[in-house]
Amino acid sequence: MTAVATAPAPGRSGTPSRIVNAARIHAANPWGTLILPWIIYAAIFALTLAIWGLITMNAGGRQNLDADAFLYNGGGTWVLFYMMVVAVQAMNQTFKFALGLCVTRREYYLGSALYFLFLSAIYTTGITLLGIVERATDGWGLQGSFFVPFWMQEASLAERWLAWFGLFTVFFFLGAAVATVYVRWGSNGMIAFFATLSVLALAAVFVIVRFDLGPEVSGWFGARSLVQLVGLGLVASAVAGLVGFLLMRRATPRA
Amino acid sequence: MTSIIEVEGLTKHYRGVTAVDDATFALQGPAIHGLLGRNGAGKTTLMQLISGQEFASSGTIRVFGESPVENPDVLGRMCFIKESQVYPDGFKAPHVLRAASWFFPHWNEELAQQLVEDFRLPVKRQVKKMSRGQRSALGAIVAIASRAELTLLDEPYAGLDAVARHLFYDRLLADYAEHPRTIVLSTHLIDEAADLLERVIVIDSGRIVINELADDLRGSATTLAGRAEDVERFAQGREVIDQSRLGGLATVTLLGLTAQDKDTAQKAGLEISPVSLQQLIVRRTGASMEQELAS
Repeated sequence: MTAVATAPAPGRSGTPSRIVNAARIHAANPWGTLILPWIIYAAIFALTLAIWGLITMNAGGRQNLDADAFLYNGGGTWVLFYMMVVAVQAMNQTFKFALGLCVTRREYYLGSALYFLFLSAIYTTGITLLGIVERATDGWGLQGSFFVPFWMQEASLAERWLAWFGLFTVFFFLGAAVATVYVRWGSNGMIAFFATLSVLALAAVFVIVRFDLGPEVSGWFGARSLVQLVGLGLVASAVAGLVGFLLMRRATPRA
Repeated sequence: MTSIIEVEGLTKHYRGVTAVDDATFALQGPAIHGLLGRNGAGKTTLMQLISGQEFASSGTIRVFGESPVENPDVLGRMCFIKESQVYPDGFKAPHVLRAASWFFPHWNEELAQQLVEDFRLPVKRQVKKMSRGQRSALGAIVAIASRAELTLLDEPYAGLDAVARHLFYDRLLADYAEHPRTIVLSTHLIDEAADLLERVIVIDSGRIVINELADDLRGSATTLAGRAEDVERFAQGREVIDQSRLGGLATVTLLGLTAQDKDTAQKAGLEISPVSLQQLIVRRTGASMEQELAS
C-alpha cells in the first residue's frame, strides 16, 4: 500500500498528473537516459586526460607546450550529440508501452518533453559544476578545457549554464522530432528524413560557397552574444518540439 | 445496462487490406463479452480502434458516449491488454505494475501482488526475456488489478498452460463478481470462455458475421443423435449445419428448432444435446465463407 500512497493520485482528463506520470515512464528505468551517458562521458574524459598527460610527459612538462594546447577539443561537447540518440531511443522504447497504458499521444509527448527538459537541467548542472572544478584546478593541472569549451572561455557562470542548457534542449528536441519520424514511419522514414536533411545541408553549403557568403554567415554568428545564440537555440528547440508534436498526433503503435 | 461501446459502419484499410469492414455493433455493461474469430480476422485491429491506438478509415466509435481518439476522459477509464504489447528494454514486472498504478484510477496494488504470487510471475526477470506465457500472465495481472470500467483483453492467454488459464478465469470472475465492469475478451479458444460470455461477436475477414447473446446463440442449434433413418426423416426439410454417420447411427445439427420440434424429436427416439459454441461458430463462419465464395 505504501507504494500507492507515495505515488501521485492517478490523474483524469489530461490533467498535469497524467502528463507527469507519462514522464515518469521514462524514469522508471533510468539506465539509458541518466546512467549510461554519464559513464560514457566519464570514460571519454578519462581518455582525454590520459592523452593530455602523455603529451605533457613527452614534452617534458606543461611549460614546454603552447598555453592553448589543450583548449580545442570536441570531447566535452560530444555528449550533446549523444543526447539526440538518447532521445530517439527513449521515445522509441516507451511510445508503444505508454499507449498500451491508454495514455494519449498528447500526454505522452508532453510528458516526454517534460522529461527531456528535466534531463537537460540535470546534465547542464552537472557539467557546469564540473566546469567550476576545471577552472579551480587550472584545467585539471594541465590547463585543459573539457567542460568549459573554447568558445565559452569568456562567459560568466550563469551564461555557461544557460549555453549548456540551450544546447541540451536543442539536441533533445531534435532527437524527439527524429524519434517521432521513426515511430511513425519506421526505418524507411528515417532514411527519407536523413536523405532530405543531407540534400538540404548540401544545398545550403552550395549557396554559401557559390555566392561567397562564408564570411557573412560566420560574421553574423560571430556578432551574436552567447545569450543571443542560446535564445536562437531555444527557438530551434521549440520548432523541433512542435514538429515532433504534430508528427506524433497521427502515430500508431504498430508492432 | 448501458451502452459502453457503440460502433457504426467502422472500416479500417491498412496496407491494402481491409482489416475491419463496415462493422456495426454495440456492447453493454457491466458484462463480459467475447470477440471471437480466427487469427488475422481483425480482432486486434478492432480493439486498437476502440482504444484509440489506430485511426478509423471511416465510420464512428463511441466509448462511454465519446470518441476514444486522444480522449483522456475515455482512455483514463479503459485498460487494453494486447498479446503483442511491447515493453521498454530493462523493464521488469515491478516496473510495469508501478507504471500501471499511475494510470488506472481504480488500481489495486494488493490484488496485483497477490496475482503475481498466484501466477508465480518472476519479478527479477526482464519482461523481454520472459516466456510468452509469463508475458501473458503479466498482462492478465494488469488487466484484473486495473479494475478499469472497460477492459479489453486481446488473446489474454497466449502461451498460458491449462492451469494458468483456469487461474485466469477464476481470478477474473472472482474480481468481476465484486467489482462489476465491462470486459471484452478476444480469443479463439471459444469453448473455454463460452460460459462467461454475455454477448458473442464473431469477426471473419474483418466483417461481423455473428452478433448475438451467447444464450440465444447456444439455443439456436441442436444436435440430435439416433438411428440413421429416424435422424434423416426428422432432418428432412430442416436447416442442417452438420451431420455425421457411423454405421447405423447418425448425428445431425439443426438450426432453429422450437420446443415443440424438440418434443417431437424426443418422441421419435432421438437423443437431444446442446451444441458447443465453438462448433456452432465454426459451422456458421464456415458457411458464411462459402456464401462469400459463391456470390
